[in-house]
This record gives sequence, C-alpha cells and structure tokens, in this order.
Amino acid sequence: MNNKYQVYAVGIVGILLFTLALSALPESLNFFREEKSAMFAFTLTVIMIMLYEVRLAKSSSEDIFLRTIPGLKAVEEAVGRSTEMGRPILYVPGIMDMNEVETVAGVVVLGHVANMTAQYETELDVPVARAIVMQSARQVAKEAYMTQGRPEMYNEDMVHYVTDDQFAYAAAVNGIMQRDEPAACLYMGKFFAESLLFAETGNSIGAIQIAGTGSQTQIPFFVTACDYTLMGEEFFAASAYLSKEPELIAGITAQDIIKVLLIGFIMLAIVSRAFFDLGLTDFNLITLLNL
Amino acid sequence: MKFLEDIILKLGAVDRRFIFILIGLAVLIPLLTPISLPVRETPTTVKFYEGIESIPKNSKVLVSFDYGPSTRPEIHPMNVGVLRHLLRNGNTIYISCLWPDGIYMALDALEEITDEVNPDNKSTFNIKEYEDYILLGYRPGAEAVIKGLASDLRKVYTVDSKGRFIDDIEMMDDIKNLNDFAYIYSGSAGYPGTFEWVKYGGDPTGVPMSSGTTSVQVNEVIPYVQTGQLIGLLAGMPGAAEYEKLIAVPGIAIQGMAAQSFAHIVIVIFIVFGNLAFFIKQRRDRKY
Amino acid sequence: MLLKRYIPVAIVAFFGALTLSAWFIDNETIETFANDDATQFFDIIAAFAVFLGALNLLKLQFIKVLKQQSEWQYSAIAIASFFFAFIIGFFIRGAFFVGEDVYFSQQAAEEAVVAMNSSDTVRPVDWGAHVQTDGSLFQWMFKYIFSPLSATMFALLAFFVASASFRAFRARNLEASLLLIAGIIIMLGRVPVGSLISSWLIMYIIAFSVGFGVNAYTRNRNMALGWVLGSFGLITGLGFTMGWPIDQPAIFYLPALQEWIYLVPNLAGSRAILIGIGLGIVATSLRYIFGLEKSYLGE
Repeated sequence: MNNKYQVYAVGIVGILLFTLALSALPESLNFFREEKSAMFAFTLTVIMIMLYEVRLAKSSSEDIFLRTIPGLKAVEEAVGRSTEMGRPILYVPGIMDMNEVETVAGVVVLGHVANMTAQYETELDVPVARAIVMQSARQVAKEAYMTQGRPEMYNEDMVHYVTDDQFAYAAAVNGIMQRDEPAACLYMGKFFAESLLFAETGNSIGAIQIAGTGSQTQIPFFVTACDYTLMGEEFFAASAYLSKEPELIAGITAQDIIKVLLIGFIMLAIVSRAFFDLGLTDFNLITLLNL
Repeated sequence: MKFLEDIILKLGAVDRRFIFILIGLAVLIPLLTPISLPVRETPTTVKFYEGIESIPKNSKVLVSFDYGPSTRPEIHPMNVGVLRHLLRNGNTIYISCLWPDGIYMALDALEEITDEVNPDNKSTFNIKEYEDYILLGYRPGAEAVIKGLASDLRKVYTVDSKGRFIDDIEMMDDIKNLNDFAYIYSGSAGYPGTFEWVKYGGDPTGVPMSSGTTSVQVNEVIPYVQTGQLIGLLAGMPGAAEYEKLIAVPGIAIQGMAAQSFAHIVIVIFIVFGNLAFFIKQRRDRKY
Repeated sequence: MLLKRYIPVAIVAFFGALTLSAWFIDNETIETFANDDATQFFDIIAAFAVFLGALNLLKLQFIKVLKQQSEWQYSAIAIASFFFAFIIGFFIRGAFFVGEDVYFSQQAAEEAVVAMNSSDTVRPVDWGAHVQTDGSLFQWMFKYIFSPLSATMFALLAFFVASASFRAFRARNLEASLLLIAGIIIMLGRVPVGSLISSWLIMYIIAFSVGFGVNAYTRNRNMALGWVLGSFGLITGLGFTMGWPIDQPAIFYLPALQEWIYLVPNLAGSRAILIGIGLGIVATSLRYIFGLEKSYLGE
C-alpha cells in the first residue's frame, strides 16, 4: 500500500516537472497551451493512477472490495422475476447517441443483461432512439447470446429503432410498456424529460424498475419513481461491478484515489482563497493555475 | 375522529386518475378564467433584465432558439420578451437555431412581434427583415455550430433560412464571428443549449451572455450565474413571468402562473393527505 | 480477430487520444479536426445511419400490418405518417409565393393570382428553404400535427409529477422528511401563491407541528398544549410588535427560503454529484481509450 502511494507521489512530481518543461520550451518548438497546464497535469495524473491501479490489479491475487450497489444486485433479481412471470424485459439505453459516454455505458450494461436473459431464456426488448446505438446494441446483444451458447435465441429485431424525436420515442416506449407489460424495466443511459414518463408508466404496469443515469436533472425523478437507481458514478461503475473483472474494478479504485486528491486540492484552494481575501497572501491558487 | 381518519386513509390510497382529474381542473380553470396573482421578481431575473438593459443601444445581439414545441410554454414567452426588450432598445437581432424545431419557434415569435399592435392600432414594432432582424436558421452539429460561429460565421452559415447568400445581406457585412456581437442570448430546453453556448461561445470569446432555461435545468445552470459566466437567468415559466413584469408587457407566462400555482397547491394538499394517511396507518398497525 | 477487435480498439484509441490532446496542443490542424471535423464526421455517419433505423422501423411495422398482429392499426398509422412526412419533406415544395402570401401548391397560387386579378407572378420557394418557410406545407404539418403531439406528451409530465410526488413523498425517516419539507417549500415558494403566504402563518404551523413532537417525546398532553399555547403567544406578541410584515422574519418567508434552498444546500449537493459524474465520465472514457473496456464492441 505505502509503495503504491510513494509511486504516485513520485509520479505527480514527475508530471509537474514535465509540464513545467513543456511550458518552458522555446517559442519555435512550443506547441503546448500553457494556460491549460493545470488541466494537463491533472489529466496525466489521472491516467497514471488508472494505469498503475490496473497493473496492480492484474498482478494481484486479492479481490478488490466494492461496496454493494443495491441497484446492480437487483438486475439479476429483475431478470429472474421476468423469467418466472414469463414476461419480457424492457431495456432503454437512453435517448442520446454513441458520442455520449452514458450511452456507451448503457450499451455495455445491456451486454451484461443480455448475458442473463440468454441464460434464463427471457425475452428482451430494446427500443432505441438512434440508429448507431441500434447497431452497437445489436452487436453487444448478439455476442452475449453467442457467449451463452444460445445463438438461436437471438433475434436482431429484439433491438429495434423507433425514432430520434424525444417525445415520439417516449410515446412509443410507453405504448410498448402498456401493450407488452414487461415484468422489468431497465433505464440505463442519458435521459431528459421523458424519464418520468417512462418511470411512471412502468410503475403503473407493476414492473420492477432499475434506472441508471449520469443526467443530474433526471436522477431525482428516477429516485422517486423507480425501485432502484444508480446515480452518476454508480452507473459508470456498473460494467465493472457486473463483470467483476479486476482491471475494470481497478478503474473504480483509481477514481476513488483521484477523488481524494481532488478533495485535498479543493480544501487547499479554499484556504488559499481565504488567505488571499483576508490580505494575508498576494496570490490566489485558482487564478495562479488559471482554473 | 375514527370517521375522519377513515376518510383520510381513503384519500391516502386514492386512485391516481382522481389526482390526474384534479390536476387537470387546477390547470384548466385558471387558464379559462384568468386569475391575477402578484409576481415577485427574483434576483436572477432582475440581473438578467439589467444585463439586457445595459447592452448599448443599436447593438448587434445573437438570439438562439434552442427549444421545441414541448417546452414552448416555458421558453417561448422568455424569447418573445427578449425580442421585445431588444427591439425596444433599438438593437438588431440575429437569430440562430441549434434545434431543428427552433426555426418554427423563431417564426412564431417574429409573427407575434410583428402582429402586436398598440392602442392606436398601429404596429408596436415596425420591424423589417434584413434591417432589424435576420433569421439565420437551423444548422445541425450542436457544439460544432457554436465553435464555427466563434471562429468564422460563414463556415456555418453561407445562406440564411430563406436561401439568401449571407454575403449579399448588408446586415451581415460587419459580422465575422461571435466577437462581433454585443450580447448572446440562448433560450434553451436541453441539449444543445446553455452549456454549449457557455463552453464554446461565451467563455472563449468573452462576449457577455445569458440564458433562459426550463425549471428542471436551473439546478445545473445556476453555478454559471454564480461565477458570472451567465448574466442572470430566466428560470422556467416563473422566470418568464417575472421578466414579463419587468418589461411591463404581461403575456402568457404571467397568465400561466395562476395555473401553475393551483397545480402546486393541489400536489401539496395530496402530499399532506398522503402523509397523514401514512401516519394513521402506522399508528393503527402498531396498535394491532 | 484483427477486424473485430484490434482495428476497432486502435481506431478508438487513436481518435480518443487525438481529441484529448487537441485540448492541450496549439496546432490549428488538430484543433480544427477536434472542434469541427470530428463532430461533423459523426453527424454525417449518424445521418446516413438513420436510413438503417428507418428501414428497421418500416420492416417491423409492415410485418405487424401484414400479419395483422395485435393492434396493427397503430402500425398502419405509423407507416402512413412516415411516408406523409417523407414525401412532404423531399418531394413536395409546399410553398409558392404570390406577393407576400404563401400557397401549398402551384395550382392554388395560380388560382389566387386569377381570383385577385394580381400582376404578381407565382414564385416557388427554393428547395431546402421549403421546410423553413413560414406558411409552407411542411410548416403546417409541424404546427398542426407535430407540435400538439409533442406538447401533449410533455404535458403528461404535469400529471405524472403529481402522482409520483403523492406516492413517493412519505416521511418514512429523517431524510425522507427533509426531502418532503424541502419539496413543499420549493413547490410553494417558486410560484406567486407562495409570496402571498405570510411568514407568520408558517411560524404558527411550525409551532403546532413541534407540539406533536413534544407530545410524542414526552407523552404528556399538558406539556404539548403548554408548548403550543406558549409558542403561539410568543409569535403573536412578536407579530404585533413588528406589525405583521408578510415577508419577515425572512427565514420563514417561503420565497426567500426557497431561494436559499436552491442556492445553498441544493447547489452544494448538485456540485458534488456533478463532480462525481464528471470523474465517472473521465474514468470511463479513459477505459475506452486505453482499450481496458471493450464491451461496447461486443466483447
């Protein structure tokens, strides 16, 4: 443990020196934006910590502790419930395109859910709002069914395109919910105002609902109306959590370390700003770092 | 007492369709029989108003219509109010749209402004296209459009919404990019909208900007107001109503406030009854 | 393996690293690529990909109609609507000017010229501009079909918020109670009706509610009654002294309280969640760029 943090300390010093060196390059060779030095150093620090944690996880035999995330534990319960009731699972990977990280995360979680539905022989319905997402989701679902040895159960129409328009999509998904009455509704991705429309309709049909999103404004609606909600980081950790792969879980450990560093920096910035406002110092850390 | 408790328990377990009917009536009745309620301005709206007032007269202002018909009740009154305010101060308006629906909202807003008559039955704003305003139109690409506008407007707009070449329009002669505008305003209902304008428009160029957003987005946008990246904010329909009061032109937002007020009261009453029923049930379950 | 795994991962890694480095590198070519070209590449791909989606949609709806599956009538409407919008957008100009007036068809425009004895000629609007022209057929479709439908769906939220709040806002524990109280304060404080509620009324309500708490804690009705009467008396005395101003003390005035909740605890919580989400996005993106996560490829 101590060794790891020593490595990080040395690494951070190295990154700072490297950034300073880049800023000190002569004009003719200077391709670096000096005003973004702080962000550059932070980005390199994040990359260093992440790659080192992954390396440690690969070489270590110990399990990395992850706290229980009820929403993710409930995914298997939801699939089981659908199987028992003989009703399908509805999976909504958000309404945005694959250029959003949340959508990619949603499609990744779909892969895990498709693994389970293949295993339990449960019907899966994935209406999507973007054609590229349709292609990607189909690929992921197909691989999941192949991996489980159930290629005959896969049908490419289980992932189908509806429409790009937000409320037309919401109307279509609500219609699917009311006609097909899925036993479980999973909402994983980026959502806007239609989130409550989905959640309330799902509630009215008595489905178990699990939502995961990084859309800050929609989290309260999902928390209110769904049985389980993965908020922000929990959603991005879902893939690691469900796959239980050490490399992916190491990414979450890295996130935690970076968060601690950030908190430390915020405290330092507050103290620096307080000293500056009180006239005790003549510099302010935030303006110094051009943040 | 038991009788009262039983009634409250029944109310606590009421079918949601009953709630829907009451909400429907709470919204419909004030809209059909207008009720006037006092509107109190909030600091963010006052700051917004003062921001627009402080634009030097006869300046060039970019107004972006970044919403669709679903969020029209919240954002449209704001945008119409902003157009009124700007035109009153003699500014010229350049209208862009990051949403495909935005162009139709812009056309409606301009129609509303053009059709408005004063007590003498004369047009309040005798505005002419290509003199007082230009409708640049919708371009796909979200933040790419804003980045394009920030560097070279003609990369994004070669023709306006009517197909007329930008270079043939006198109003566009002095406009190379966002730096040539005195102010940027975005009426935004989501993505792309306020964030993208702040990140790629206002911040990099330093052009003062502000925005009107839906109530739900206010949470996300308020930090920008605190840091000064947005000069005030119009927050949802209440914000639009406050702004209508400040510009002294009451419109649909002020009318809608009574409906919104009564709807909120109905929701609060149901929440209170729901909780009372919850406590009564808990107490009865404990007894038995 | 090469096509399915290594090449896609290499493409992701290359473009991800290029876009990330564009933020720090002062080079016009890389900047232009990251800021303009990359987004446009994506938009072009997405635009063409819509054909795949549209064909899939039509295929499924046609199958439903042909096999007369349950509620196939909705599928028939969906197909008809699709082709209606498609034809109007691509094949029908729908906007012909006679002076300032716009007509849907050339024939209608010519008839108008004859009827008005006008010397104006019929001017067809340019292709492209025909979807944005005021008074065009496309705009008619947008105004009278699409807009009301969109607005209706959004309006459902008003009803759903009411039913969700009614169902979920229960004071089960301390956190739920705080959520409930904050929700009520925001709901009432945000609208004009909140500014009509005097802060003194709120004080009376709080004093009365605390009385219940005193009763529950002490199990002594006399003490609870004493508390209620005492606090009521104190509030009344204060009120007479201050002249019953509606918005004082400000801490009990709903609009002021609502603003404070928005700007202080709510903002603090939002920022914390936002930082967490931002970190999550950074970490997730880096996992994709470095090829640590390949699940989106179907691995």
